[in-house]
Amino acid sequence: MTSLMKKLVLATAVVAAPFMTAQTAAAEGEKYILVSHAPDSDSWWNTIKNGIALAGEQVGAEVEYRNPPTGDIADMARIIEQAAASQPDGIITTLADYDVLKGPIRAAVDQGIDVIIMNTGTPDQARELGALMYVGQPEYDAGFAAGQRAAGEGVTNFLCVNHAIQQPTVGERCRGYADGLGIDLGSAMMDSGTDPSEIKNKVLAYLSANPDVDGILTLGPVSADPTIAALKENGMAGAIHFGTFDLGEEIVKGIKDGTINWGIDQQPFLQAYMPVVILANWDRYGVLPGNNINSGPGFVTKDGLTKVEEFAGEFR
Amino acid sequence: MADTPQIDERIKEISPLRRALIRPELGGIVGTFAVFTLFALFAFDSGMFNSQGVMNWSIVSAQFMIIAVGACLLMIAGEFDLSVGSMIGFAGMMIAVFGVVLAWPMWIAIIITFVICCALGALNGWIVVRTGLPSFIVTLAFLFILRGFTIYIPQTIERKTIIGGIRDAAEGDWLAPIFGGKIGQPIFQWLGDIGVIGVFERGTRAGQPVVDGIPMLIVWAIVLIIFGHILLTRTRFGNWIFASGGDAEAARNSGVPVNKVKILMFMFTAFCATVLAVCQVMEFGSAGADRGLLKEFEAIIAVVIGGALLTGGYGSVIGAALGALIFGVVQQGLFFAGVESSLFRVFLGVILLFAVILNTYIRRIITGER
Amino acid sequence: MSASQNATPPIIQMKGIEKHFGSVIALAGVSVDVFAGECHCLLGDNGAGKSTFIKTMSGVHKPTAGEIIFEGKPLDFADPRDAITAGIATVHQHLAMIPLMSVSRNFFMGNEPVKKVAGLTFFDHDYANRVTMEEMRKMGINLRGPDQAVGTLSGGERQTVAIARAVHFGAKVLILDEPTSALGVRQTSNVLATIDKVRKQGIAVVFITHNVRHALAVGDRFTVLNRGKTLGTAKRGEITPEELQDLMAGGQELAQLEGSLGGTV
Repeated sequence: MTSLMKKLVLATAVVAAPFMTAQTAAAEGEKYILVSHAPDSDSWWNTIKNGIALAGEQVGAEVEYRNPPTGDIADMARIIEQAAASQPDGIITTLADYDVLKGPIRAAVDQGIDVIIMNTGTPDQARELGALMYVGQPEYDAGFAAGQRAAGEGVTNFLCVNHAIQQPTVGERCRGYADGLGIDLGSAMMDSGTDPSEIKNKVLAYLSANPDVDGILTLGPVSADPTIAALKENGMAGAIHFGTFDLGEEIVKGIKDGTINWGIDQQPFLQAYMPVVILANWDRYGVLPGNNINSGPGFVTKDGLTKVEEFAGEFR
Repeated sequence: MADTPQIDERIKEISPLRRALIRPELGGIVGTFAVFTLFALFAFDSGMFNSQGVMNWSIVSAQFMIIAVGACLLMIAGEFDLSVGSMIGFAGMMIAVFGVVLAWPMWIAIIITFVICCALGALNGWIVVRTGLPSFIVTLAFLFILRGFTIYIPQTIERKTIIGGIRDAAEGDWLAPIFGGKIGQPIFQWLGDIGVIGVFERGTRAGQPVVDGIPMLIVWAIVLIIFGHILLTRTRFGNWIFASGGDAEAARNSGVPVNKVKILMFMFTAFCATVLAVCQVMEFGSAGADRGLLKEFEAIIAVVIGGALLTGGYGSVIGAALGALIFGVVQQGLFFAGVESSLFRVFLGVILLFAVILNTYIRRIITGER
Repeated sequence: MSASQNATPPIIQMKGIEKHFGSVIALAGVSVDVFAGECHCLLGDNGAGKSTFIKTMSGVHKPTAGEIIFEGKPLDFADPRDAITAGIATVHQHLAMIPLMSVSRNFFMGNEPVKKVAGLTFFDHDYANRVTMEEMRKMGINLRGPDQAVGTLSGGERQTVAIARAVHFGAKVLILDEPTSALGVRQTSNVLATIDKVRKQGIAVVFITHNVRHALAVGDRFTVLNRGKTLGTAKRGEITPEELQDLMAGGQELAQLEGSLGGTV
């Protein structure tokens, strides 16, 4: 992780340096808009906001973050249409629902606005829509990788705590995980809701009803934090295999004290930072990386927590 | 009392101009004016007032209008429906289940969805009038029940929470375009050709105008507003709506079928939610379990901005439509103006507060409430 | 007065009405008859059974025992609608009007006039407004306009609108439930004047009140209710305010008063 961070800083310096010296020469002040599907309450996206802000500052572009306040994807489609109408130089957007968003995104592309798909979506869908590229962690693949790793660590029967059942892409993680383990998903995916105490009690109930469960997968801090509390309460902390998606303060603590075996970091910072830098370079010099960028999965274990701890919630 | 003649004198003082101004919609009219002035000043060259921008906030406002018309009439009849948002998600999912999973012809899927949703609205209303429970509680229950089914049904039969392919399934259907189609394409093509509105620069639609027609969503909004306004102000049923919400007991004493009125208004609210849902799934081609989240509050907010009284008996469909317009324009306009999007709620709260204060003041003048 | 009453039978007769709510006997045999064109005052203290009695008369309650004879025929009301259709209208103390609605909308509430335009049925506002203004003028109230909200009217004016409405829609018997109880002096006199106008149109008015002076101002006959029973009916001029007051207060001096009431108990 440390090395990756170093590389990142180096890359940042390399990318940013020309702008700093050639600030007056280059066509500056481009406007990029990042549109996400996350409701206001989702604190995970704070890292994304910081990521675009930092990138915008470094390359000298104007960046904006927009999202549907309630997380309604149909509202998000309107926001993309609105973003296109305000004629920015580029739009960075998640692709939370291909059917809903393909129309507005393609319309933006056809108007001559550069689009990069980040976070949710797949490289294929990005290509289909005429987007420049995809930056993110393919959900199914990440789940599959996690499943394979868990299988190697001895998991045979698992529980997947899904706090975002209405978001199909998130559920893909569970499916990938099951396939990676080589077992059927069956009823192992739990619709936990988002209330911490509810999640905790549901997990406790499930584990006492299914004593043969030896692995848990949570899909983010929302489900991971109460699950940690549940395991500490029933004494299974450290005894049961526990993997989670995404990082957060509690997750980092859990990894440190051994409750959590590993966290899968999709490195959201990169998902926000890279598209801004890439769009700026494309607009200014016409250069573009030749491939999609996988920002994750990065497995975070007990070793390599220092940087994570330092920047948790800010850039990590 | 000795103050009777004084009251008469005060009433006579009101000038014709003031009388023309003092109407339930005044708050909405003032708000609309203020909002447009504000954005014209701060976001004029942001694209908000080009063809695409206008279409953008018009569509968003039209969405609010459709559900606001239903919520408005129901609120005037003295009841709430908190299940509107869930109903939107549920109706969309029903279309997908019937039209895509079961592969029935789309027009049958649409009609059956309307029947089911209106029946659910009637059930809502029937429980409210039968038990005498506050509609707030009953429809809150339906908020959860319907949302639960909207997640459970596709999860069970398709193992996912979004069902796509609706647009393909609706291909060639006679009823679907009434919800998902557009009208006036030739006019917009002509406007694009002569350069009044922008055209696509590249891709398969190069040369076509960026706004290629008026979506049926907007047509539905206008039709429902006109229908609702006439129903409320020009028919005897409209009088019953006012009476039921103003004082159900007094209305019953005068022979108004209050229960029937309330149940019908619950059904109409469900109908409006279903119209929005069908328009949405026909446009986007998929139904998702998270559609319509919190839309019930947005509808109520639009209605209240439009001058309706939260406790019923007073309000205006035109006012509610203006409230929806204000809501839509502010929501999208803040993006255009480049205001940090998390401040949207702050603006919304401020507008709501001002609108309610102004509306209360106007209402007191009209109705002599103290 | 008495001559005409003898010539025409009463428009409505309540004979030995009893009403029990579970173990509570609200009315224990009440008999009242009302003639067209008279104002029959029903007096009683709180809890005397006045409300139960008028609710029975207006079809809200079914009597446990007893008989209602309306225009010579026994009546059995299924609900208040029946009573309204038959011509028995009740103006309730508080529930008469909806303050948020305009006078003309209130006036025609439940009986809206309609007109057909292109096959569709619409509320005939022109007709409603015209009639409302006319009827109000007849009752001596000058409205700012038919669209004026009832909430801007005084309490007395609201009662008058409600009375005018009942009369306009063909009430033969008008039951007024404490129309003056919450009003000031001037408004009370307006309402009493309205009652007088209505009576002169040949309508039977049942005026429920516990204010003896109000009753004596317009009443032709007076019946006192106490603890679910009638204590007697007296004609105008046959009873003093003090006697009425005493009767309402409990009838302790019943025996003494029986004589002065003319044996009508």
